[in-house]
Amino acid sequence: MGQIILGVGDYGASNNPGDEVKTFALGSCVSVIFLDPKTRTVGMAHVALPDSTINKNKAADKPGYFADTAIPALLADMAQFGCDKRGKGLIVKLCGGANVMDTNDTFQIGKRNALTIKKILWSYGMGAVAEDLGGNFSRTVAVSVSAGQVTISSPGKPSWQI
Amino acid sequence: MVDKIKQDDLAKIVQSIPMLSASASRLLQLAAQPDHELADVINLVKNDANLTARVLKIVNSAAYGLVTKVTSIERAVSYLGERIVVSVAIDDCSGKLFGKELSGYEAASGDLWKHDLRAAIASREVVTQSGADINPELAFTAGLLHDIGKALISDYLQGSAPEAVELISSQDSLDYLAAEEALIGVDHTVAGYELAKAWQLPDELIQVIRYHHDPAQAGEEVRPLVYAVHLGDNIAMMGGFGTGSDTMRYKLDKSYTDFIHITPNILASIMLTVDTEFQKLEESMLDSGETN
Ligand SMILES: [Fe+2]
Ligand SMILES: [Fe+2]
Repeated sequence: MGQIILGVGDYGASNNPGDEVKTFALGSCVSVIFLDPKTRTVGMAHVALPDSTINKNKAADKPGYFADTAIPALLADMAQFGCDKRGKGLIVKLCGGANVMDTNDTFQIGKRNALTIKKILWSYGMGAVAEDLGGNFSRTVAVSVSAGQVTISSPGKPSWQI
Repeated sequence: MVDKIKQDDLAKIVQSIPMLSASASRLLQLAAQPDHELADVINLVKNDANLTARVLKIVNSAAYGLVTKVTSIERAVSYLGERIVVSVAIDDCSGKLFGKELSGYEAASGDLWKHDLRAAIASREVVTQSGADINPELAFTAGLLHDIGKALISDYLQGSAPEAVELISSQDSLDYLAAEEALIGVDHTVAGYELAKAWQLPDELIQVIRYHHDPAQAGEEVRPLVYAVHLGDNIAMMGGFGTGSDTMRYKLDKSYTDFIHITPNILASIMLTVDTEFQKLEESMLDSGETN
């Protein structure tokens, strides 16, 4: 079984039934997962920050890093597998976006990431059918291409699915 | 159920940890002297053949992509900066401790060192990008050392992560420090404090290790520094580099705003810089030989 491991700011997709698309240790980062039942393709982006205007060079180099550039990049990537360019028919799942305890507005990057992603998805007419967002813990996420199953794990907890 | 660590157990644990090398110890003393110069660091490196070799390897590693080979230690140290020299010296003499697999936190080996490097870089960036009147190199060094207590108590926490996590989610006011204290009687800041004293670290570093989760308790003079590392630590965890089950299960002390001014955009820029700088530093240290 192949593993497609995505680091911070990476995005990728696969339609190989043996593959697993995985990203480690989401803190305030959010993993955007697209599942296409028609082509049986799984795509994921590991988004670190909401807004690419703070560093255009980084956004050009690693579009997956920012919410506003990650979603178009992931859709374009998945279009190569025959998925709809505007995301029609894709199932959306979101996880991550944790915050530290007693946080203030400035440090709520996890919350800002999630909100920005939802806003952008909305502009495509897309919305998440399942989400596991927030809380004060880190998450590792794996999606099996064959089952389209999203499994989340976190140290000290039994793993769960969304 | 795990056993409690008694006061004399803690003393024994601390005694079992090797002392710092002379160079590392001297570098940490220097770091806390506000008026020291880079020339002092260069002299110190020159007198340590291993450290010299390692610093030269790092500056010439692919990560820095320098066109001409650097052969003089003066140039190498001024190019890399004091903070990289400190990282290498600590890694050389205490790599085993910092590279320890924190199985009591269900973390992988290498997680502690990565968290420490990220916290170090983030603490320094917090200072420079906010313009706070805090020594940025000292903030880096303090960030590197802040969680050393975890390596001391991890074995005693073996198998306790689910219980700690459960404890915290059952009671709103509890963070991971409180869970450590409840489970084994000693939290990682107290354990680290004992080691810091045994290592005769400068007072600034001792206080960061002791109070990085509760900066308001630090002495008035070092408080701004302790707040900088408090933020650097949180930023490292938010960026996905924690040490397992305790990641993000700590409280932000919002009074940092009395000392450090950060907007959401500055914070985003800090997180971005931490990613870039960490990649470079990690790659250069791996390239240059000894790894944890
Ligand atoms: Fe800590
Ligand atoms: Fe920490």
